[in-house]
Amino acid sequence: MNPNTRRTSRAVTSIACASMLVTTACGSGFDDAPGQSAQQSGGPVTLQILIGSSGDAETNAVKQAAQTWAAASGTGATVTPAQDLTQQLGQAFAGDSPPDVFYVDAIRFADYASVGALEPYAGKISSPDDFYPTLRTAFTYNGTFYCAPKDFSTLALIVNQDLWAKAGLGDSDVPTTWEQLTSVSEKIKAAGITPLALGDTRDRVGAFMVQAGGWITSPDGKQATADSPQNLAALDYVRTLLAGKLAQYPSQLDAGWSGEAFGAGKVAMTIEGNWIKGALKADYPDVKYAAYELPAGPKGKGSLSFTTCWGIAAKSRHKEQAISFVEAMTKADQQMAFARAFGVMPSRQSARSTYTGEFPADVPFVNAVDYAQGPVNAPKMDSVLDDFDTGLQKLTSTAPKTLLERVQKNTQAALGTS
Amino acid sequence: MTGRRPGAAKENLAGWLFVAPVVVILGLFMLAPILMAMWVSLTDWNGQGSPFRAGVPFVGLDNYTRLFAEEGLARQDFMTSVRNNVYYVAIVVPAQTGLALGLALIVNGRLLRGRTFFRAAFYFPSVTSSVAISVVFLFVFANSGAVNGLLRLFGVEGPQWFADSRGILHLVLGALGVVDPDAPPAALTGGGPFGLSWWEWLSGPSVAMTTIIVLVVWTTSGTFMLMFLAALQNIPVTLEEAALLDGAGRRQVFTHVTLPLLKPTMFLVLTLGMIATWQVFDQVYVMSQGNPAKTTLTPAFLSYQTAFNGFEYGSGTAISFVLFAIIVVLTLVQRWVLRERRA
Amino acid sequence: MPDRKRSLASTFAGYFILIFVALVFLYPFVIQIATSFKTEPDAAANPLSPLPHLATLDGYERVFGTDLPLWLGNSLLVTVIITTGRVLLDSMAGYALARLRFRGRRALFATIVAVIAVPGVVLFIPKFLVLNQLGMYDSYTALILPVIADAAGVFIMKQFFESIPVTVEEAARIDGAGVFRTFWSVVLPMARPALLTLTIISVQSSWNEFPHTLVAVQDPALFTLPRGLADLVSGSLGKGTQYPLKLGAAVLATVPVAIVFVVFQRYFVRGANEGSDKG
Repeated sequence: MNPNTRRTSRAVTSIACASMLVTTACGSGFDDAPGQSAQQSGGPVTLQILIGSSGDAETNAVKQAAQTWAAASGTGATVTPAQDLTQQLGQAFAGDSPPDVFYVDAIRFADYASVGALEPYAGKISSPDDFYPTLRTAFTYNGTFYCAPKDFSTLALIVNQDLWAKAGLGDSDVPTTWEQLTSVSEKIKAAGITPLALGDTRDRVGAFMVQAGGWITSPDGKQATADSPQNLAALDYVRTLLAGKLAQYPSQLDAGWSGEAFGAGKVAMTIEGNWIKGALKADYPDVKYAAYELPAGPKGKGSLSFTTCWGIAAKSRHKEQAISFVEAMTKADQQMAFARAFGVMPSRQSARSTYTGEFPADVPFVNAVDYAQGPVNAPKMDSVLDDFDTGLQKLTSTAPKTLLERVQKNTQAALGTS
Repeated sequence: MTGRRPGAAKENLAGWLFVAPVVVILGLFMLAPILMAMWVSLTDWNGQGSPFRAGVPFVGLDNYTRLFAEEGLARQDFMTSVRNNVYYVAIVVPAQTGLALGLALIVNGRLLRGRTFFRAAFYFPSVTSSVAISVVFLFVFANSGAVNGLLRLFGVEGPQWFADSRGILHLVLGALGVVDPDAPPAALTGGGPFGLSWWEWLSGPSVAMTTIIVLVVWTTSGTFMLMFLAALQNIPVTLEEAALLDGAGRRQVFTHVTLPLLKPTMFLVLTLGMIATWQVFDQVYVMSQGNPAKTTLTPAFLSYQTAFNGFEYGSGTAISFVLFAIIVVLTLVQRWVLRERRA
Repeated sequence: MPDRKRSLASTFAGYFILIFVALVFLYPFVIQIATSFKTEPDAAANPLSPLPHLATLDGYERVFGTDLPLWLGNSLLVTVIITTGRVLLDSMAGYALARLRFRGRRALFATIVAVIAVPGVVLFIPKFLVLNQLGMYDSYTALILPVIADAAGVFIMKQFFESIPVTVEEAARIDGAGVFRTFWSVVLPMARPALLTLTIISVQSSWNEFPHTLVAVQDPALFTLPRGLADLVSGSLGKGTQYPLKLGAAVLATVPVAIVFVVFQRYFVRGANEGSDKG
């Protein structure tokens, strides 16, 4: 080393150290002082509310409800629709500047709860037991019910009535078992129509696993159960549907999702959630269709439920106001107002009869809540499930057993039980 | 040395004052971040509160070993991203270099009219926003987009570019009848290095990845063309003419006179190209987010995703440092190869 | 003369290739502009046609219904400040490194060269950490300050100052002007071509900057155009195709750079080659 380079490297080090000193010295972004999360009292308070909106209808409805609440409570409320909720929340948590109230998708719930980002406030909401049990489970972590479910959706069998009639089928032909699903699909195929559009992710294929009596994790979310014989039976069945061209993935039908293929009249049936109503009304208003409960498998009826809760940040300085806001948003009549505005189903059982009275066509969706499986409720499972989806996309060319073993292995690693 | 000249102390002070803003900014936002990230990569920080407080678990090199030595999803995803990027680099770098050189040679033609126009046309994609261009290509390669529209004119039904995770190499092998992509031989699927089977390593870029490849070759060739053009214009005309007079053919002049003189530029273009292609991010973020079936996942995007969406900041920073190492090592290798040839 | 014939043919072939390649390079922009004026069904049915079936401003009306005007404003603000900062700070540092003899000059220059070599993607998460630590995350400061000086710009300016003769400055110095006076009123005016090149490079790169905004801000009110556009496509607003809307927004992101490009083309060319010197 000649003196020149030695001097160079010494200078580099000193510059680096100096800049480190500066950052730590004037560091104020991460403030761990307990005082910061203390409740703030007095002065005007404005709640920051971040939502992952399904569209303008939802954004406007939530904004309106927030304004009504703000006027009544004297607390300000700013509703911001996120462009990418997961990413924005992640950076907000790391930046120590989370919004007070935000949507938490059940799929991400355990991630947030496990790192202590969420306030477990659900017990303070009036009559928490009124929320459907399956939704409460979806937002329970280590035995604590954290946050109030906003609303929910389930999967049902959607039938295109014109194509149904074209295939020579009647109301009594709607399948209620796997066997009937196979036989009716064969008839539809014989009539030259693609029978079923099926989304290529665990959020659709998973329904078959539930019908067979399986799931990816045990009910408490602690054990991996992906490689069970029940799951194998389900994937084998789905594979035969795909191989026989009785079911096709949306991409095979040149569609972004099943609803698009269904609306365009490319298939006679699809398995989708109640959000399909809004999509069909907007893009394909002329399609005549009806929803039915999903056909039962070896173990009986099964469906999947999807839900979002109103999360409150553990670091929020306005928790009291935030809880009062959520209380207002989850009242049965407010939930009905949301249902009318953007087609979601109320998460409170007390609103069930009002809802089915007003939307009789949705009875199959509501009924599914009694036997539906919620999303996997365990942290660090996101990449595992994405990997499972990748496998499902190649279901026709991969052995289901190999696929499930891989999911089992990854799940065990994520849950720390291997 | 200092202190002897009159006014040297003053000049010393002035010098530091002049460079101070740049030193502060580069120190704060280039050097300090790297040191902080090195620390984070040795922890299991989950993105809550400060990474420098006492409670953050220190895990040593775990985040690094998990990428290479431990069986699991972390390694699988990382290796998949490396595979994708290797194919990406292996196609983009030669393609953009070749295209850039070709364009430069044509534009440099002495008899050419409208040279300024053509040079501008080829260079223009390089200066526009990568995000905006990616949006345009999303449309160009959409199912009902321009490329498939063009293919339909020739009676070809184009693929669904962004949904197609099939590997090009798999498709070629299938078309040649060497193997059946739907039932690959067990010898290849049975095992392989770093948690991916040989069959997975040998996939080639996916159909979806080719759209990003086309996009990047298209946008970057212009810049490199300018570099070649500058080098070509520095070659004395007399040298080539002398060779021609000596009876050498045009092709001979090109291979024996022009090309050797372009060698430094060629290596520069290759190096810059390689450094840039290992960092592909914007296009992946906008066009595919790593989908379909993780075939457009790259280490840069994976690192971002792991940190900001998966809350595994330690793992994410570890991936970015490994990527850094890959780039440094490959640059050194390239430099070494260059030195070898000069000797 | 067979030789002449051959060269004629090869010229012809050359033009043919050139025009074809130029078409490939420019046609996507034609499609981009055309589609932004199309109706949605028209865009889906005639993706190749360079003219809308029935020109409509629907796409643009919807573009301006989003936050895009705000993003446009942010992009302008950020670009102007960053460019001003870079031109000033980079040339000051470049001048000092080229002309002023101060202690640690060589070490500093070596560091700056090393910094140029650090790949940008490696800094994503680190930059986010620092911005957080400094309490700057999610602010205009976060968008601007970290990129207000750049190592490559310093390098370019240093090379430039070394290439111009030192005599004029010395004359000024002898007349008793201080270092800063000399720099400001003698050196900078001489450096106009290099400053213009640096300005052009900065305008282009800060207008197009995307990854930095991803780790610096998350409030939609602070988005720049590329960030907003990316989220328009991949975020919740990206549902459905809506190509006229998206391509309209992309046109707005492209046009300012295109204008600067056409006007200052030769500086772009120079900038690209300055970049090549640093390798």
